Amino acid sequence: MSIRLDRRQFLMGSSALLAAGAAGISPSFAQAESLRLIFWGGQARADRTYGVTDLYTAAKGTQMEAEFLAWNDYWPKLATQTAGGNAPDIIQMDYRYIVEYAKRNAIAPLDEFVGGALNLADFDADQLEGGKVDGKLYGISLGANSVAMLVNTAAFEEVGVAVPTNAWTFDDLMTIGEAFKTANIRGGMKAIMDGSYSEPMLDNWLRQRGKALYTADGKLGYDEADAVEWYTMWAKLRAAGVCVSAEDQALDTGPLETTMLVLGKAALLPSNSNQLVAFQAIMQDNLDMVGYPRIEAGKGGGHYRKPSMFFSIAGSSAKQEAAAEFLNFFISDPEAAKILGVERGIPCSAATRDIVAPTLDEQSQIALNFVANLGDLLGPLPPSPPAAAGEIDASLIRTLGQEVGFGAKTPEQAGADLVNGANDILSRA
Amino acid sequence: MQDTSRSSTDHQPVVHTAWSRFWQNDAPGYLFLLPWLIGFLGLTIGPMATSLYLSFTDFDLLTSPDWVGADNYIRMFSNDPKFWTSMRVTMFFVVFSVPLKLAFALAVAMLLNRGIRGLPLYRALFYLPSLLGASVAIAILWRQIFAGDGLVNKLLAMVGIIGPSWISNPNYSLWTLIVLSIWQFGSPMIIFLAGLRQIPTDMYEAASLDGASKWRQFVKITLPLLTPVVFFNAIIQTIEAFKSFTPAFIISGGTGNPINSTLFYTLYLYQEAFSFFRMGYASALAWVLLALVGLFTAFSFFTSKYWVHYDE
Repeated sequence: MSIRLDRRQFLMGSSALLAAGAAGISPSFAQAESLRLIFWGGQARADRTYGVTDLYTAAKGTQMEAEFLAWNDYWPKLATQTAGGNAPDIIQMDYRYIVEYAKRNAIAPLDEFVGGALNLADFDADQLEGGKVDGKLYGISLGANSVAMLVNTAAFEEVGVAVPTNAWTFDDLMTIGEAFKTANIRGGMKAIMDGSYSEPMLDNWLRQRGKALYTADGKLGYDEADAVEWYTMWAKLRAAGVCVSAEDQALDTGPLETTMLVLGKAALLPSNSNQLVAFQAIMQDNLDMVGYPRIEAGKGGGHYRKPSMFFSIAGSSAKQEAAAEFLNFFISDPEAAKILGVERGIPCSAATRDIVAPTLDEQSQIALNFVANLGDLLGPLPPSPPAAAGEIDASLIRTLGQEVGFGAKTPEQAGADLVNGANDILSRA
Repeated sequence: MQDTSRSSTDHQPVVHTAWSRFWQNDAPGYLFLLPWLIGFLGLTIGPMATSLYLSFTDFDLLTSPDWVGADNYIRMFSNDPKFWTSMRVTMFFVVFSVPLKLAFALAVAMLLNRGIRGLPLYRALFYLPSLLGASVAIAILWRQIFAGDGLVNKLLAMVGIIGPSWISNPNYSLWTLIVLSIWQFGSPMIIFLAGLRQIPTDMYEAASLDGASKWRQFVKITLPLLTPVVFFNAIIQTIEAFKSFTPAFIISGGTGNPINSTLFYTLYLYQEAFSFFRMGYASALAWVLLALVGLFTAFSFFTSKYWVHYDE
C-alpha cells in the first residue's frame, strides 16, 4: 500500500509540475496543504477518484493522499484510525454508519461551511436531508441511488420469456421461474437468487405493505406475522425451484464474483442501481435493470432515492476548511464531474447532472434513466437506521434465511426468532 | 583508566565495584537484550494489559471506554447463544482435527523413515502444504476444490456419485475445514520423523528376531519411545487449532456461515471487535480463550505423567 501511495504521490507531483509548466509558471514545491482521503470501492472507483484528486492538486496545489480499501476491510481500518486520533481528513461515509460516527463526534458538522467553502445552492433537498443527523449536516451525498433488480437479458432471451418491466409482481416472478425451470438452460439456471437473506429486499417488501425495517425512533417497524409471511413466501419460491437452492446461495459470501448472477446460477439479482457498471465489467451477458417485484399489481412506494455514500470530514481534522473546499470541488467542478460519471450514483446537483448526462456510457445511461423514472415505485426516504442495524443484518437476517433454506427452521420459527432477536439486539445497543 | 578507577575506589569502594562489574560483565548482555525487551514490553505485555483492562469496559473504538465491571464476562456465559455456538464449533474442530492430523503425520513420517530414494524431495513436498497452509491463497483454492462444481465433485462424478457443495452445506462445511487442517500435517510430520530417527534400530532387530510382528513392534517399541514427541506435537497442534482463523474467514467470507457452522471462536471474536465495534466484549472473549487454552495445556501436562515416557 505504501509503495502504491508513493507512486501516487510521485504521479500527482509530476502532474502538478506539468500543469504548472503548461501554465507558464515556475513550479513551487512548497505545498500549502496536504489532505488525506479514504474511501471504499474497487479499482474502477479508485481510477475515477484519483483522476479528480490529480485534477485538484493541479488546480489548487494541495497535495492529496488518497487510499482505498474493500468494504469489509474499510470499516475496521477507519474505526482503528479514528480511535487512534489519526483519522483521514476526508472520509467516505455510509448511510449505515453516519449516525454512529456523528453521535461520537468522529465526523464534524458541516453547517458552518455551507454558503462559504461549500456551495450547495442547487443540491437536491432530499439528498441534503439524508446527510443530516439530529438536524445538522454531517455528510455530503455523492450520488443518489436506488435498489434495482439486475437482469441477465441474454438468459431471458435463451429461455424465451420477456424481460420484466417496472410493473412486474411476485406472481410474475413465479411465472418467470416456471419458464426458467422448463427451459433448463445452462445446467439449471434459476430465475432469481434466494432473496430471503437480502435486507434491501425485505425492506422494499415491507415498505410496499406500509411497514418499515425501522421506525424513526429506532424501533422495529414490522411484527412477527410480517416476518413469517416473508419466510413462507420464499419457502414457496424455493420449493418451486424459482430461486436457487440454499446450498448454492451459501456460496455467495459477499464479493461480486461470488454472487449468483456472476456464477451464472440465477438471472435476476437484487442490487443497487450504481452497481450495474461494476457487474457488467465482469460479465459477458448483457445486463439491464428493473424495479423490485411489486407485492401486487399497481402497488408501489417500496423504492427510495438513497444517498449511495457521503463524504464527511473527520472531527479531529485540523484542516476542515480546506477539506470542505475539496468536497465542493468534488461535487461541483465540471471536469471532476465528467471523470466521476455516475459510478457513485446520480449526481445530486442539477447543473452537474446536465454536464454528466451526455458523457455517459450505455450502462451508466441505464442507471441514470432508471433512477430518474421510478414513477410510483418511489416512496419517501426512510429515517437512517439505528446503530444496531448492521448486527441485525449480519447475525439474524442472513443466518435465519439460511436456516429456513436448509430446513433447520420453519418459516414460523424463523419469523419469531427474527423479531425477538432483533428486539433483543436493539435493546442492548 | 585504571588509575582513575583506583582513585575513586578509595571514595566509595563497594558501590563502584558493583557498578563497574555490572558495566563490564552484565551490561553488554542487557544491551543485546534491549531490542527484545522493548518489543516484549511494548508489543506483548503492554497490549495484553490494555486488553485485560478493556475486557472490563464497553470500549467501542470511537469513544473512550467506560468501566462496566464483569458485565462482559457475565453476558458471555449467561446471555450469548453465539458464544456457545462458536465454542461448540471450535471444540468440534479441535477434537477431530488434532488427533486425525497427528495420526496422519505419524503415518507419513513412518513411511518416509524407511530409506527410500529421493527422501529429501518427499520431505519437502509433504511439508509444503504447511508452509502455504494458513495462507489466503490456499483457503481460496480449497474453496474452489470443494465447491459444488469443484474438483472433488468432478472426481466423485467419475464414479457415479453426485456430491454436495461441501463448503456451502452446513452438514459438511466444518469437515471440509478439518480436512484442510489435516492436509497441513507437515510440521508435526517433520518432528515425528526426527523422533523416529532417535529410536535405536537394534531394538527392532531384537524384536523381529523374537518374532514380533510389525504391528506389535509399532505398539510396543515405536509408540512408547515416541510419546514425548507425541506429547509435544499434541500440545502445539491443540493450541494452533484453538487459534485457527484464516481458513474459516476466507471460506465463509468472514461470516461463519452457512448457518454459523464454521463460526470459529476467533471468527466470532473478530466479528464482535471489528464488525460490531464491541472491543471490550471482544477483549473479554480473548481472555476466555487464553484461559481455555491454558486449562487444556495444564490438563495435558497433568495427565502426561501417566503416558509419556522419558526413560534413559
